[in-house]
Amino acid sequence: MVVPVRERALSYAILTAMAVLVLIPVLAGSLTAFKPQIIWISSPPVWFFEPTLENFEFVLITRQNWLHLRNSLIISIGSVVIALVLGVPAAYGFARFRFRGSKGLMQWLISLRMIPPIVVGLPFYAMFLFLERATGLGLRDTHFGLILTYQTFLLPLVIWMMRGYFVELPAAMEESAMVEGYTRIGALRRVVLPVVWPGIVATALLNFIFAWNEFFLALILAGNNTSTLPMAAGTYVVRARVEWGNLFAVNLIIMMPVIVLTIFLRQQLVKGLTFGILE
Amino acid sequence: MKVVLKELVKDFKSTDTVAVNRINLEIDQGELAVLLGPSGCGKTTTLRMIAGLEQPDSGRIYIAERDITDLAPKDRRVAMVFQNFSMYPTMNVYDNIAFPLHAIKMDRKEIDRTVREVARLVNIDQLLERGLRQVSGGEAQRVALARAMVRRPEVFLMDEPLSNLDAKLRVQLRTEIKRLHQDTGTTFIFVTHDQEEAMTLGDKIIVMNRGDIQQVGTPHEVFFTPRNAFVANFVGTPSMNMLPGSLRIEESGRLFVVLPGFELELPRRFAAGLRMMTSHHVIWGIRPEAIKLVPAIGDNCVPGLVELVEALGSRDLMFVRVHDQLFGVIVDALDSVPVGETCSLHFDGAHMHLFDADSELSLLLDEKANGA
Repeated sequence: MVVPVRERALSYAILTAMAVLVLIPVLAGSLTAFKPQIIWISSPPVWFFEPTLENFEFVLITRQNWLHLRNSLIISIGSVVIALVLGVPAAYGFARFRFRGSKGLMQWLISLRMIPPIVVGLPFYAMFLFLERATGLGLRDTHFGLILTYQTFLLPLVIWMMRGYFVELPAAMEESAMVEGYTRIGALRRVVLPVVWPGIVATALLNFIFAWNEFFLALILAGNNTSTLPMAAGTYVVRARVEWGNLFAVNLIIMMPVIVLTIFLRQQLVKGLTFGILE
Repeated sequence: MKVVLKELVKDFKSTDTVAVNRINLEIDQGELAVLLGPSGCGKTTTLRMIAGLEQPDSGRIYIAERDITDLAPKDRRVAMVFQNFSMYPTMNVYDNIAFPLHAIKMDRKEIDRTVREVARLVNIDQLLERGLRQVSGGEAQRVALARAMVRRPEVFLMDEPLSNLDAKLRVQLRTEIKRLHQDTGTTFIFVTHDQEEAMTLGDKIIVMNRGDIQQVGTPHEVFFTPRNAFVANFVGTPSMNMLPGSLRIEESGRLFVVLPGFELELPRRFAAGLRMMTSHHVIWGIRPEAIKLVPAIGDNCVPGLVELVEALGSRDLMFVRVHDQLFGVIVDALDSVPVGETCSLHFDGAHMHLFDADSELSLLLDEKANGA
């Protein structure tokens, strides 16, 4: 499709304006992360200064936020892996087989996405507590406990997104492979998954961002052993003051993986998010 | 290999499969059999049951005397070409053709030799390195054919493989499929709703409707001696002119069919079939090609008004109104009568068809055939 020059110029102008609007606070904040403490909140703001890594050193080493970074990585990656392992086959099932209640089940899944985390946070805590007392199985303050809790929100997203990709593919594709000597699982692995791979990458990334940024459930269910980076960021907003430089240092650490992943996976991401639109 | 379907039943429990009602069918070794019928007649469901993609509710399927009803698709030694799928999009042409061979763990050298040989057979040996986006629709369908052939299946199953191609390509590939069938000598089962495709391809045509087999026969048999009114109407383009009528027998034994507004004499060959009749009501039919334009009114002739003429090339299809009935008539383009003029149509008794109005069975078939 050829877009006229004027329309293209206009769309770029709008996109640039939006990007500036979004990026200025991010940029200002990120700069602060490199400022020495005395000029954190100087007014007017200082734009030129000798950058320092002392804030990063403070948060990562002195305050041991590297532990939170580790927790965040374990929980986010674990959540995404489990959500994909369970969700992708489920999505395939929903796409290919009609069974009693399949439609209702899909709607129930999407309704899970509509629940605000604050509604389920305390019930989850109560459930964990009950489980612990009844069976001795402790899920509070464990990585697995949070990973499990996040499935409430990740699984519906995986199933809905992946089902969309599977529905787009003709069933004849795997049927052909089945006639040609493969089992359904074999056909799925060798034929279908390679085709929907960009979709899986896009789904994984969106899910990773959810788990990585999640604050509220972690606040309730995580403890000393498992608290995540967003929770660590929260500790720099204390009653009397905000430790801006430290806060923004943690923020930058939080943003980095998402930015890097997005840049590396952008081709798959665009393919995955526009799957079926262009063809 | 010989394919036998015994009392095959598929119910409509799940909404997207078409019912098949207890069908029996034998397809001989090396035959090119065409399952022909309108959409929803059960032809694709039948094919998918042979492939193992659909499980019959009851009945058995045999290939070369081997009961394959309960086998997985991969163990049936069949190959299938689909209408809406040709190439695995993440593999190039070469890997597509090699794909079924990897399933049987063939060694790399042997795979390479086989892939190149089969690609040559369907004229895509120049395209082996191309991907899905670099081949045309017709080439992609050739890849599907090559992938089907590469394992030397006992039976080829084809589910409307040409329907998504443009008209010219369709005719071209049709010829190639016919040639492929002759060269390999394998049994082919081809599904189509296109009766022209069925006629040109098939050694044997199986006409289906509403889950039942209507007639099994050679292209000539289903065209010239349709077993019932459905087959008569479905096979042939433009389709047969059919009218409801009733029979009148004179004391001399002469037989007439009374149609809306006029009467025609029937040849004696229909007399035998009358014994099967339950009433005097019939469906009378004649193909557009069998109606002749004549200069003057005579026996079995009626005057009509030309309402529309469609050019078919060397011939014209005229629509002629006779007593409120519109007849399709195919004539040589040179003999065509202009719109608005009258002409005289002659109905040759030798080309007439007659069906019982209740059972819709042809009155030309002997009782034994109809009892089956």
